[in-house]
Amino acid sequence: MVRFLRHYGTLMGMVAIVLVFWALLPDTFMTARNWLNITQQVSMLTVAAVAMTVVMVVGDFDLSVGSMASLSGIVAAVLFTLGWPVPLAVGAALVVGLAGGLVNGVLVSVIGILPFVATLATLTMYSGAAFILSGGKTIFGRDIPQSFADFAKSGLPLGSLGDKPVILPWLTVLALAITGVVFVVLELSTYGRRLYAIGGNAEAARLAGVRVTWLRLTAYGFTGVGAAVAGLMYASRVASANPTQGEGLMLNAIAAVFLGMTVTRHGQPRVVASVLGVLVLGIMDNGLTQLQVDSYVREVLVGLIILLAVSISALGRRATGRR
Amino acid sequence: MTYSITRRGLGRALVLAAGFAALGAGAALAAGEKIAVITPYLSQPGTQFYVEAFEARAKELGWEVNVIDTQGDVAAVISRIEDVVAQGVNGIVINVDPSQIGAGLDAAAAANIPVVGMDAGADARIKANVTSNGYEMAAVTSVYIANRIGGAGGVVMFTFDAFPPVQVRGVIADAVFKNYPDIKVLDRITPDVSDGGIADSRAKMEALLAANPEPGSIKAVWAAWDQPALGALQAIEAAGRQNEGIVITGIDANPQARDAIAAGGNFEASVAQDFTGIGSTAADTMARVLGGEVLKANVIYVPTQLVTSVNAK
Repeated sequence: MVRFLRHYGTLMGMVAIVLVFWALLPDTFMTARNWLNITQQVSMLTVAAVAMTVVMVVGDFDLSVGSMASLSGIVAAVLFTLGWPVPLAVGAALVVGLAGGLVNGVLVSVIGILPFVATLATLTMYSGAAFILSGGKTIFGRDIPQSFADFAKSGLPLGSLGDKPVILPWLTVLALAITGVVFVVLELSTYGRRLYAIGGNAEAARLAGVRVTWLRLTAYGFTGVGAAVAGLMYASRVASANPTQGEGLMLNAIAAVFLGMTVTRHGQPRVVASVLGVLVLGIMDNGLTQLQVDSYVREVLVGLIILLAVSISALGRRATGRR
Repeated sequence: MTYSITRRGLGRALVLAAGFAALGAGAALAAGEKIAVITPYLSQPGTQFYVEAFEARAKELGWEVNVIDTQGDVAAVISRIEDVVAQGVNGIVINVDPSQIGAGLDAAAAANIPVVGMDAGADARIKANVTSNGYEMAAVTSVYIANRIGGAGGVVMFTFDAFPPVQVRGVIADAVFKNYPDIKVLDRITPDVSDGGIADSRAKMEALLAANPEPGSIKAVWAAWDQPALGALQAIEAAGRQNEGIVITGIDANPQARDAIAAGGNFEASVAQDFTGIGSTAADTMARVLGGEVLKANVIYVPTQLVTSVNAK
């Protein structure tokens, strides 16, 4: 019971946040429709954060996910304007994501550049590439195929509530599916176990026969593809592609993973925990908007919550360490 | 020890919750119509003016206004529209290209909540967009340049096609300059605006000045908004080429631009959008819609004014 409370204190904080919003917004917050909205709103961030978790497991991180998300949206949109069918254009964008991720991997793992420096450099390169491909323009309107834009507007019918149909948005379904895939990779495969081993102690992992260089490299591949998927989801949601539109994803994804790490036993990045982190950010945005809290105050609050959760977790770990 | 750990876990939950309770208490007291203003661009000087004017007019109308800034994130605008639709506001005012937030407009339409655009763009789901005529403003400044340089010489353009309201300005300037056979557009630059646009525009202009060292080789700089014009002015002054008669124009007439124009240097003209008028007209338009009026024109233009050293102050 004691252990439970220590590990799940942040979780209880999250529950408390939900309860407070529920109490203050009795009619509109705890509704199926609002929760489906929230899952759709955070779907892109979920994919970005889950993808970010993979490299953070190894102890690295990736600053280029935001610009890769922008780039993948632009790649698909530019190919749409050239008349490519939707599946081919989307596939090409994912290939660009994989390639971009692997470039990061080579820079960090093979050449040995610090992740911060390497991915800061590729951040500007991918962002520049997005500007070059798009000519700085927002690609929208008739250039975006209806089927691509409709993806983000439709979903799986779940039945109806009153006279309105309840739909599980495809964006949510996709985010769940990708979370599931990454969960299997990280938690249930030897590949994932090895990534955690590298994150725990890279030298020990190497001596134990783990192919550290190769695994760190491939981890970036996952993050690159994840960023590309998030970027395509974003492009579908706004039915347009703009060379800067993914920018907000990077910091929020890192924040979500850190927030999630305060829930896990050893402060490790975990897929499910990252999703919880994303949900906290999404619920805060949704609830505080409905409460008409000033958007700048909201920013400060989100930062405070992250700091609060991380400091309490750090203090808790120190206390346990002393014992 | 056991006890203190238990308390720590609980404390964590309580601290997080306490902050919200305090915050929510103020927001729950509501009166009058609830209107949400949602924009990704609140940090732009123009946006601030019309949001403030909107709020001032809304106060007179007895509305409760919630201003939401998503800081450049367009998808977040959709999310916030969904949130305020769930909250049940009476009206929504947006300040972003409607074609990019279709999902949000659909949500508002499904709930029968009217949407008015404030310098946004036209869309069937928006009752009306209140704005300045970008074509007109660009025509005024580009023709000003063409006349000042006698229809001949090299012109540098600063444009930003990623933002539709600024893109239309570039289109007109292109057409005007093209109509003068002796005007040569030396470069059409899209500055990096992540730092506000002045610094990068200055750097780009410095490079162009270096590439065109002959006095008179650059006759004018046409900027689609004021920041690049200010950056170009700095570059020209830093290069010591302020006496070559290079004519600079901007659009928007922000306070910094007005100062520069009033000083009587190379920055000669800009066009003032009536931001205050856009804000208050948007509020009046929303009032008409809420009053049940069906609007015929889905774009409402608020007049603009050429600003030169005569009327800059």
